[in-house]
Amino acid sequence: MEVSDEALLAGVAGGDADAMAAFVRRHQARVFGMALSVVGVPAVAEEVAQEAFVRAWRHAGNYDPRRARASTWLLTITRNVAIDVLRVRRELATEPVAMAELLMAPSNDGDRVDDADDVTAALRELPKDQAVAVVLSVHFGLTAREIGERQHVPLGTAKTRIRTGLTRLRGILEVRHD
Amino acid sequence: MTEPTRCDGYREGLAEVATGAASGPDRARTLAHLAGCEDCRRELDALARVADEVLLVAPQHQPPAGFESAVLDRIRVEDGSRNPRRAKRKAPAGRRHRVLRPLAAVAAALVIAVAAAGTVWTATAQDRETADRYERTLAVADGRYFTAAPVLDGGVQVGHVFLYQGEPSWVFAVLGEAAPGTYDLVVSTGEWTATVGSCEVAETSCGTGATVAADIGDITEVRLVGSDGTVLTAALPGW
Repeated sequence: MEVSDEALLAGVAGGDADAMAAFVRRHQARVFGMALSVVGVPAVAEEVAQEAFVRAWRHAGNYDPRRARASTWLLTITRNVAIDVLRVRRELATEPVAMAELLMAPSNDGDRVDDADDVTAALRELPKDQAVAVVLSVHFGLTAREIGERQHVPLGTAKTRIRTGLTRLRGILEVRHD
Repeated sequence: MTEPTRCDGYREGLAEVATGAASGPDRARTLAHLAGCEDCRRELDALARVADEVLLVAPQHQPPAGFESAVLDRIRVEDGSRNPRRAKRKAPAGRRHRVLRPLAAVAAALVIAVAAAGTVWTATAQDRETADRYERTLAVADGRYFTAAPVLDGGVQVGHVFLYQGEPSWVFAVLGEAAPGTYDLVVSTGEWTATVGSCEVAETSCGTGATVAADIGDITEVRLVGSDGTVLTAALPGW
């Protein structure tokens, strides 16, 4: 039987190198994919992904399985590292709106892990502007002001798109999970 | 929502805190509200879980060959290179959390008191009770711990700095009694120094903050540098 992520992280927190190796092997494609989608350059994405795993190792003792799945906890770390890199290395400027649309596109369906099916389908049920605003906020860490600038709408409209989009997603996912 | 009129103004802030994209001041304002609103804490928890799900849409890509061993090498190097000072500072997470817990309660009360009254905090039983609620809020908001330090001008307290360990971490400063003028918030770690915000003290207090790409335990100095060269230094706890 496969060892759960939670058990692996408990081992990592205790300094178990084998547990860490297994954790890296299991999640490296997902972490590298997330990093690449944010920074856009494979060599930089590799640095980001490595740093994300190092931080996961450093903070494994803080992971609380009651609050988040290990995969989303790890992807949150990866997202934060990637955004930090973008803030410093402005030459890596990506086009996040185009990337947000691409992330939800059916052409990427084959590269997603199965547990992403529900949320991907739910995002496609939203009006496109709301779905993009949510992905820009979650995935790229853009503030409402930055999203408004990129979507060419006032700040208030951007805030409403994020809130309404997230709230509708919640409703859709609750129905799917029931 | 039991108090819809009071909560209405925070709903959009809740969404941005849930996605992790709220600016430091917006995050502080929203968290201050959450301290006294159980309904909004539940709402934030639910929205944050949805935001977590959205992270899953990123497609997978296999990293270059040798990735796994490169990660493990970095971990070995970092683990082996910890000097005694760093080892002391980077105590096991559980122990560090317990050590900082009383500080978190104090800091929480400070934030709430400043936000509500715009004055320097004074300890009361009611504030401490509020602080306990705030600490629970931090748990909901993906925060791990929270601490505060007085900002001193020649030994006299003129404000506070708040440091929040989370994903991301942030630093927030409030100046209440400083001389009028514009102040830059300057944060230093052992590796970098950056100006992360600024605020203007006029007739009222001012606050500024930003997310920082560092664990707050790695922050060695926080200063507020006035446009006239005045330097106000936060007396950080000795972690």
